[in-house]
Amino acid sequence: MTSLMGNHSGTIGYSFSEPTSANVKQHSFYPYTDNGGSTLGITGADFAILAGDTRSTSGYNINSRMVPKVFKIGGDDETGEGANIILSVVGFAADGNALKEKLDTMVRMYKYQHGKSMSVGACAQRLSTILYEKRFFPYYVHAILAGLDEEGVGALYSYDPVGSYEREQCRAAGAASSLIMPFLDNQVNSKNQYIPGSGEGHALVPKKAEPLDKETATKLVKDAFTSAVERHIEVGDGLQLVIVTREGIEEVFHALKQD
Amino acid sequence: MPGFDFTNYNRNAALHAKGVPLPKATSTGTTIVGCIYDKGVVIAADTRATSGPIVADKNCEKLHYIAPKIWCAGAGTAADTEFTTALISSNVELHSLSTGRDPRVITCMTMLKQHLFRYQGHIGAYLVVAGVDPTGTGLYTVHAHGSTDKLPYVTMGSGSLAAMSVFESTWQPDLDRQGAIDICAEAIKAGIFNDLGSGSNVDVCVIEKDQPTQLLRNYMKPNDRPQKERNYRFPRGTTAYLDQRVISKEDMKKYVTIETLSGDDKITTGDSMEVDT
Amino acid sequence: MDKLVAQYSRPPHQNEMYSEQEQQDLTASVPPLSLKFSLPPVDNRSAFLRAMTDDHSNPSCPIKLAHGTTTLAFRFQGGIIVCTDSRATAGNWIASQTVKKVIPVSRLSRGEDKKTNEPTPGLLGTMAGGAADCQYWLRYLSQQCTLHEIRHKRRITVAAASKILANLTYAYKGYGLSMGTMLAGMTPQEGPALYYIDSDGTRLPGNLFCVGSGQTFAYGVLDAEYKYELTEEEALNLGRRAILAAMHRDAYSGGFINLYHVKEEGWVHHGFDDMNPIFWDTKLQKGEFSNVTSAL
Repeated sequence: MTSLMGNHSGTIGYSFSEPTSANVKQHSFYPYTDNGGSTLGITGADFAILAGDTRSTSGYNINSRMVPKVFKIGGDDETGEGANIILSVVGFAADGNALKEKLDTMVRMYKYQHGKSMSVGACAQRLSTILYEKRFFPYYVHAILAGLDEEGVGALYSYDPVGSYEREQCRAAGAASSLIMPFLDNQVNSKNQYIPGSGEGHALVPKKAEPLDKETATKLVKDAFTSAVERHIEVGDGLQLVIVTREGIEEVFHALKQD
Repeated sequence: MPGFDFTNYNRNAALHAKGVPLPKATSTGTTIVGCIYDKGVVIAADTRATSGPIVADKNCEKLHYIAPKIWCAGAGTAADTEFTTALISSNVELHSLSTGRDPRVITCMTMLKQHLFRYQGHIGAYLVVAGVDPTGTGLYTVHAHGSTDKLPYVTMGSGSLAAMSVFESTWQPDLDRQGAIDICAEAIKAGIFNDLGSGSNVDVCVIEKDQPTQLLRNYMKPNDRPQKERNYRFPRGTTAYLDQRVISKEDMKKYVTIETLSGDDKITTGDSMEVDT
Repeated sequence: MDKLVAQYSRPPHQNEMYSEQEQQDLTASVPPLSLKFSLPPVDNRSAFLRAMTDDHSNPSCPIKLAHGTTTLAFRFQGGIIVCTDSRATAGNWIASQTVKKVIPVSRLSRGEDKKTNEPTPGLLGTMAGGAADCQYWLRYLSQQCTLHEIRHKRRITVAAASKILANLTYAYKGYGLSMGTMLAGMTPQEGPALYYIDSDGTRLPGNLFCVGSGQTFAYGVLDAEYKYELTEEEALNLGRRAILAAMHRDAYSGGFINLYHVKEEGWVHHGFDDMNPIFWDTKLQKGEFSNVTSAL
């Protein structure tokens, strides 16, 4: 069989990427579909927000205008009542659902066996191992997990498809992530912003990233999505906003453009 | 030799075979429709141009002028529709000047299909040609490979199925002017909302015998952007810079001629951009 | 009796929902960091995986994994310096600028870094290649080290720990793992010890290693300035400077400079600092990087 690695050594001297499509074997086994959509999460001192659009696509078609991407994990019943962790998945919806079901079951089993809820930190590590178990047949998803940590501070963990993870202040994933993430870097982490008049040239002081309050974060999320809808065809229809605070989980839906 | 320049063809074919991706052309997704009525013909289009999954232009014009009473709606590669219609427009005008008659829709359609057939589909223009001429009303589709169709109502582009569903369910013979505009606009809206390649606004063009042609630009705007929640105006001095140099008007005069326009007259003619204040 | 037991002990719908084994897995309080991986139902699994996830041989692959790095570690008279960048890339996309590529491997220091200046006992591992591979297997190694500690009542040697990891990567050779990692630690038996282990199964002891897409740039600086007799401060500065050079020249490295010092009592963290001000300091204060101009 023609090895894919084989043609690496073959060609040298090109300044652009290595030879590819010519020798790439077309696999008849292709178990993934990209269902589009985008998700995003922001945390603050006492809250965590996860949001996602509710459109599901394949190709140029809309499968549905109302498929939520954010789920409550470890609730007492189907409604998710009693949960304190939320998960968003974007990418291939079937894999996303399988992943959510698996994590939800595990977190609920933990509660029955230990008589207490799983911490977000523990849940985050568990999700990582679940993803890595399919290292050689990956879940085609980008997951974000959020909740409040043991100190009551907003916690947000983002994952790659095979389970490498990191705790962050904010993260965008999915189709429009490359449109939203730079906006978040600038507005949440104050990247590329300096304090006017604080110095000349290199003495100019960078603006410190301050934790956002819930209202500001919610507004940023809405603006991020209305902007993404303008410029990405796979994002639209509805915005699902799920906010975790000490009081519990609040879920709201907003309309987005449908074109 | 006039026409296309093929000097890079062999190089690019070789590069592509090596796996270098070809540059992305703007727009394949579109909805365009046309429909005849008792005294004339209506064509309509959406206004979204895409590059892959990214919206390249939210309000582009897909209705092209060919002759005063012949217009064309274009889908496919944006540059191809633009240049093909412009070329045929010139030829139609020369033809009408040399014959001393008003141009006919069927002439225009024939010129388009012969041009496109010669290039075997490499010119990715998918067109709806419509107009009125001394022989009556004409409405045709022209595909990139050169095939054509003559029908009372037509749709093209990635949203053609969504749009056709409107015609097939609600079209009836002997529509009047407003009826034809309404059904076309409705068909475009079906494309806008159900096809990801189509979006934004509805453009309509009405061509009628003994009436000036009407281009109803943004006839419907069903997708206005909602007000932003926050103001993103940065205080002056937020951006860091390494060095600055001020180029005075005197310096610039060495290289270009400068004329100062007076008053607050709006000089630019393009659409104004949304700006945070 | 047997019949009765059989009747009531067997689940009524055997193939519905999760199997018994799966239910046990779901309820197990401690998930086994097992070697049980689900595999795709195709003949050539590694080719399938490559077609789906290897953005180098197939830039339009659907699943892009986090990659790209510069990491370095070297021994000197005062211990071992470990230094990394913090960038993760997926194709041309910078997935993160805040990755912690130095992973503590020991029972006492697992999890979030503690806010203390006291040295923390244990080993340090570095992460290059697939982010998930490194994170998962260094965690697995951490478990094994802890078990070793419990069984033998003494800390594991770096040689033994690195051998566990090398045996593991060798067993998975050809499956498509991608990791280039260094293990650094100080034990009473070995003194300061440094090992390089990668996904081919290589395991090398040594004084000085650079790993990742920016390794050559880091080697350039280290080879010019390195000597075993470096003072602690000189060594820390050299580590920082070598990573800075790589971050400057390698597009797949960047973000923050993550610096550690392994001493006899354990490791000490010396900061996670934005490269940008450090770069301009190095240029303007020391006159290095003079090819970079800031004037118009």
